[in-house]
Amino acid sequence: MKRILIVDDAATVRLFHRAILESAGYAVDEAVNGIEALEKALQSTFDLYLVDVNMPKLDGYGFLRELRGSELPQAPAIMISTEAGARDEQLAYAAGANAYLVKPTRPERLLLLVRMLIGEVPA
Amino acid sequence: MSPLLEQFLSEARDFLQGIGEKLMQLENAPDDVELMTELFRFVHTLKGNSGLFDFPEMTRVLHAGEDLMDAVRNGRVAYSQQLADRLLDAMDFVGMLCDEIEAEGSIGAAYAADSARLAESLRQLMASAEKAGAVSAIEEAATPLVLTAAAATAPLLAPKVELPLAEIPETARMAAYRSARAGNPLHWLSYSPAEECFFNGDDPFFQARQTPGVVWGGIVARAPWPPLAAMDAYRCLLDFRLLTTAPRAEIDEYYRYMPEQIKLLPVSPLALVLPQGDPNGGPVYEDLVVDALRNLRGGDVSAVARAARAMLELSNPDLWLSSALRWLLLLIECEPDNHPALAALIESLRSLQPVDWYLLEQSATPAVGAGTAAGATEAAAGTASPLAAEEAAALAAIVAAQRAILSLPLGAPWQLGRLRAAGAALAGCLRASGRGEAVHEVETATAQSLACGSAQPLSDWLAHHFAPAAESAAAANHPSASAVATAAARPVATASGGANTASDGDRESSSGRRADDAESDVKFGRRAEDAAAAGVKSVKVDQAKIDRLMNLIGEIVVAKNALPYLAGRAETVFGVRELAREIKAQYAVINRIAEEMQDGIMQIRMMPVSFVFQRFPRLVRDISRKLGKEVNLVLEGEDTEADKNIIEALGDPLVHIVRNSLDHGFELPELRRAAGKPPAGTLTIRATQESDRVVIEIVDDGKGIDPAVIKRKAYEKGLIDETALERISDQEAVNLVFAAGFSTAEVVSDLSGRGVGMDVVRTAIEKVNGAISLESQKGKGTRLRLSLPLSMAVTNVMIVESDAQIFGVPMDCVVETVRVPRADIRSIKKSLTTVLRGRIIPLKSTNALLGLAAPPLANAEDELAVLVVRLGDESVGLLVDDFRETVDIILKPMAGVLAGLPAYSGSALMGDGSVLMVLNIKGLF
Repeated sequence: MKRILIVDDAATVRLFHRAILESAGYAVDEAVNGIEALEKALQSTFDLYLVDVNMPKLDGYGFLRELRGSELPQAPAIMISTEAGARDEQLAYAAGANAYLVKPTRPERLLLLVRMLIGEVPA
Repeated sequence: MSPLLEQFLSEARDFLQGIGEKLMQLENAPDDVELMTELFRFVHTLKGNSGLFDFPEMTRVLHAGEDLMDAVRNGRVAYSQQLADRLLDAMDFVGMLCDEIEAEGSIGAAYAADSARLAESLRQLMASAEKAGAVSAIEEAATPLVLTAAAATAPLLAPKVELPLAEIPETARMAAYRSARAGNPLHWLSYSPAEECFFNGDDPFFQARQTPGVVWGGIVARAPWPPLAAMDAYRCLLDFRLLTTAPRAEIDEYYRYMPEQIKLLPVSPLALVLPQGDPNGGPVYEDLVVDALRNLRGGDVSAVARAARAMLELSNPDLWLSSALRWLLLLIECEPDNHPALAALIESLRSLQPVDWYLLEQSATPAVGAGTAAGATEAAAGTASPLAAEEAAALAAIVAAQRAILSLPLGAPWQLGRLRAAGAALAGCLRASGRGEAVHEVETATAQSLACGSAQPLSDWLAHHFAPAAESAAAANHPSASAVATAAARPVATASGGANTASDGDRESSSGRRADDAESDVKFGRRAEDAAAAGVKSVKVDQAKIDRLMNLIGEIVVAKNALPYLAGRAETVFGVRELAREIKAQYAVINRIAEEMQDGIMQIRMMPVSFVFQRFPRLVRDISRKLGKEVNLVLEGEDTEADKNIIEALGDPLVHIVRNSLDHGFELPELRRAAGKPPAGTLTIRATQESDRVVIEIVDDGKGIDPAVIKRKAYEKGLIDETALERISDQEAVNLVFAAGFSTAEVVSDLSGRGVGMDVVRTAIEKVNGAISLESQKGKGTRLRLSLPLSMAVTNVMIVESDAQIFGVPMDCVVETVRVPRADIRSIKKSLTTVLRGRIIPLKSTNALLGLAAPPLANAEDELAVLVVRLGDESVGLLVDDFRETVDIILKPMAGVLAGLPAYSGSALMGDGSVLMVLNIKGLF
């Protein structure tokens, strides 16, 4: 099973994304901020990261920068933001995201992106 | 309720509380950037969460709050108390909505108005604050849009009237546009019924609604509303505005009796093309505009449609740009040959400015209604397979994103990780689109890029294999360049039997890879579990589960108490002393474990008093401001812990006490100054632990209580007699406020209210075995002291025997046990008394109090057993037959019809299986 790490401080959003991803057969782990996400990434390997922007301690940008600068395996990351702006999108890419989604996430859209980024052969 | 909604509500409450706390803290440190950022994050996250559900009333308020906090955070709006007040109001409203959702599952329509009002008040705050300072970026962006829209449409229609077409929802405008392009006339109808129309039997609303060909309708007030008192509800002050596609003659016929009340203006269909939405950003449209214009010049309108559709898929539908794209698609569908209009609309994607259709129509003659058939075919071709289109769009988006990523300048070493990730993303895309055979190429290119520390090799590969974004999405009719389109179409081809060995091979290898993954997943799984064990610091548990544990441990405690009884039987009945000793030894072990377990479970139930205290900063602030008083709140010992039940029972009484203190204890600032006190009063709430009790003190430096007034009032109320009036000390007098019946409205006004409902407070505290006392010095202040048990779960009782039955008496009440010779007991009138250590103690027969007939038994020396108990501030002797041991019991309150028996506070199960009735001393008399 492909493993996805959800990094979001809002428990509701984590639950929402977890439900979507698990229903599509992915294994999901969660982290509530960038620091915890890094710890998880150190201990375990993920196929994809789903990262919120605004979080306490270490935000999504910070997490991605740390991740991309590390020796860890580099799985693709989707940044999820409430800001639908080209500037925010560029910032996300610069930090190390590979895709950008605007909240609230549409399940089918999220799953499509996840499937593409993880590289699952269509059934 | 769905788990997601439950989660949302619980988290929302946490956030609301956090927001309240942060706002309080900000009052003391308005410049604390960190606090501000935290606060913004709370509001922001809460808004984001609410967006997952369809609660527009909630989201609207939160969105306004978020914008406001963002402005504060960025220094565009200064933090003020008024701002905090409004924000707190808004959060209270959101809290109310949460309750509503929890109770009803949805938000009633009644809240919409409040929601709009609150959001508006927050926005006003921002607007007015910003007027003074810099101009809001949001407003700057939003306002001109509306203005230009109006400006663009106005000259087209009627020189004097500006038609507010932008108010019509996009869907309605699109429907009208379609209808107009299908050959129907389009008219703006303004209907102003006569003011006295109701007296003529007219029904303007019905009249307007029945207008032929209505696409949209709106109602506006003709003039600003008069004050309510001056308003005449029987006059019609409304104007109706309609967009209709009926022929003019039909409308004239319909309104033939009131031609002077309507105004009919023709509307050009293009005037309806007004994109609307959030003007802030979206995906990068530059490529799309360039390619679309080129395709348009080349006459390939269908390619433009496909590109627009793909981009639309990528964009948030609420964006201005998305709206523009939808219009573009509609225009392509309805008038694909109107190239000037299409080009203008495409241009507007870049400029973000609405098209000036008036100018456009003057310079070119649109080809109305022509070429619809061609447009339809193109559209059909574009949406042949919706799934494939979606996939293609997603692919295009990802590829575009990776291109953007690779084009970013490489600086710090961490960009190498970015390259790797981009490579992984592209490899994923290839596999997902059934082009697994190309994966190794990406990998090679990525490796090259990493080796030379430059994005170039990977960029080159990308440029070679994927056409630039817009083209790739729009290039279905250029097979050579359309890697994406074929990629999307490919799975269909292989599935339908094409012997595509490369693809099959790839699939095999990928299933092999999956097996590997599965294996490593197990490993990761274990590691993840280890990590979880190390990382988890707290668990949220349903209280019912803990209560169940409590009940079970209670049963164990009772069951283990059977062992000494069993040992006794082994010795006395069966005569096996050895076994009795072993049972006792084992009992000691089980007893120790059970006690530790009980202690452990109690610990789980422990909560800090901060749970109750946290509401006070807000409460004190709100009430004192309302009363015009200045009060500083000092909270101490917030982490003192007590059982959850105790903490919860503490809440309401404490609020009551604090309210009282604010309302009647503190003086107004002028009075305080006159009395030589600092104008701001201090209210201290302090929690401490004293052995097995939690003590809460509420101290104010207000005007205190005058014992003379209390005494007089108590006498007037008949609570004390004349002798008591003379005798009681001031200290005793102020405690009379706790007497039942002391607090009435009349007393409140005379006494400036100290003592309102204090008997209610006392009852609530005593219900959890707590005690309350009050000290007050006139003019100096008042100190209330609540003493509560740490836990209610285990009660220590003394067992007494009376009339051959056993009863429990809570040890809290027991003062001492004595045996009094019958000769020392005197009768005064009908009461029995004795003198104990120089004090007269009234004696009561337990049997008599419980309605048992037997007289008290004396022992061999003719002494009577007297259990001296505390009753309020007095001591009373209970005549019992004999004393027994003290035990720890789990007290079960009386349930059902028995709950009405005041003499008992509950029952407990004893080790030998018998039931012990526990007396409620206060209820006995």
